[in-house]
Amino acid sequence: MAHDVAIAAAYELKPGRYPEFSAEDMYREVVTRALREWPVKPKDIDGLLTAPSGMVAGKIDALSHEKLAGKLGLQPRFANTMSAGGATFAMMVLRAIAAVRDGQAEGVLCVGSGKFLKQGAGGGEIVARLSSEPDFELPYGPCIPALYALIASQFMAERGATPEDLARVAVSARRWALRNPRALMHERGEITIQDVLSSRVIASPFHYLDCSVPTDGGGVLLVTSAARARELTPHPAYILGYGEMHRPASLSETGPRLIESGATQTGPAAFKRAGLTQRDIDLVQLYDAFSATPLILLENLGFCAPGTAGRFVQSGATDPGGSLPMNTGGGLLSFGHTGEASGMSVLLEGVRQVMGQAGPNQVEKASTALVHVYGGMMYEHATLILGRSP
Amino acid sequence: MSNGPLPTLTPLNQIYWEGTAKRELRVRHCRACDARFRFVRSMCPVCWSEDLDWQVVSGRGKVVACTIVTSAPYESVADRVPYVLALIHVAEGPTMMANVVECAPEAVHVGMAVDLTFEVRGEFTLPQFRPAK
Repeated sequence: MAHDVAIAAAYELKPGRYPEFSAEDMYREVVTRALREWPVKPKDIDGLLTAPSGMVAGKIDALSHEKLAGKLGLQPRFANTMSAGGATFAMMVLRAIAAVRDGQAEGVLCVGSGKFLKQGAGGGEIVARLSSEPDFELPYGPCIPALYALIASQFMAERGATPEDLARVAVSARRWALRNPRALMHERGEITIQDVLSSRVIASPFHYLDCSVPTDGGGVLLVTSAARARELTPHPAYILGYGEMHRPASLSETGPRLIESGATQTGPAAFKRAGLTQRDIDLVQLYDAFSATPLILLENLGFCAPGTAGRFVQSGATDPGGSLPMNTGGGLLSFGHTGEASGMSVLLEGVRQVMGQAGPNQVEKASTALVHVYGGMMYEHATLILGRSP
Repeated sequence: MSNGPLPTLTPLNQIYWEGTAKRELRVRHCRACDARFRFVRSMCPVCWSEDLDWQVVSGRGKVVACTIVTSAPYESVADRVPYVLALIHVAEGPTMMANVVECAPEAVHVGMAVDLTFEVRGEFTLPQFRPAK
């Protein structure tokens, strides 16, 4: 499809705590550091997409693109602050492609940064309020792990996935993180299924090691014409296919069926546009806030028949050297869940892989990558299929 | 025990909370297409009719998802752990969040039949569910 437009550059902050920067500062910092490395001048940038800053700290700033444009000295022709949770960043790329193709902009920066509150600072209640209905859900004591646990409970009851299957997803993510010096858990060593199952229970079926690691981070992508992208880098990332779907923002409204997520629609849409099938995909990046979600997504996206994702992951297929490398930077589980920029981290790893810039965790054959991100409790979804060739 | 986070009473949700105080679970019903849905709406999400009323439902339901919260996510629920957070598919239509009470948390499972009960918290009476008799 978008062979005339491509991702020309990708930059990501190393995940970790950045106490010296406010949520707003993080946006400036991400772009400043990227521009030190990219051969790009102010005249090359006339589009800017950001997400609201401060969301998971409960201080939502919806003026993020205006403030960032000011700091960068830009007066973009095309700009917006976009919000679809973890799915935001894939949707930014789609909006940027449409803008470049339509002549609304020539070079669009897609930026995300995120910052979790420190543990015990009240963030648990803030994000529970963001993800639940205040009058009809919150009185029952929901929290993010418990909401995801609801989805996981239905998946396990109906599809037969076991706690060991879930734990194996975390084991696979850790194996990738051990190869990736930028991953938060890079030096923490291997974990076993038994380690996961014997870590403390947070909300059944999730143990501590079934949960992603909260941290700060962020990144930026440059979307421009394919011709310009090829001047900037030998291997731009091309967008071969995509799908997008928005559903209601509470589990009560989503129910009673939770496990046929929007991915069952965005996946086929993306494959159709790309003219590809699951067998043509070299690696996948599947949003993994908790260990159950990659299993659900492997089935929803058609990589595994219903009821078989657990066995698939248990076989080692998603590990380094496996037939379908998954979450090759360590995933949110072991790379780090970079606040509200988590979806950017998932997307960036796919982009780096097809551009051949993934470093020590580069997958040998990375001609195509499928990236799937979602917002909220699997409320809104985006699938992107990236290619090394147009 | 602390009341935890409580709802905010508004003109739109008042009829619902007046119902629970009388030990009734009221859902929205569309007179045009007969759909039943939750709780504060002025328009049917199926056919967009605004011809709506409230119906009292039986309170029979089924657990479609459940978890035992063992680690208190925030201070106001700290004295409630462990508790069962569940989604209940009510026989007449909507799916709603609730706790499953009056049983051991480990006894609750997906597919379990449950009945409506109520729990008074401060000014509010919350619908809850318990194993079906």
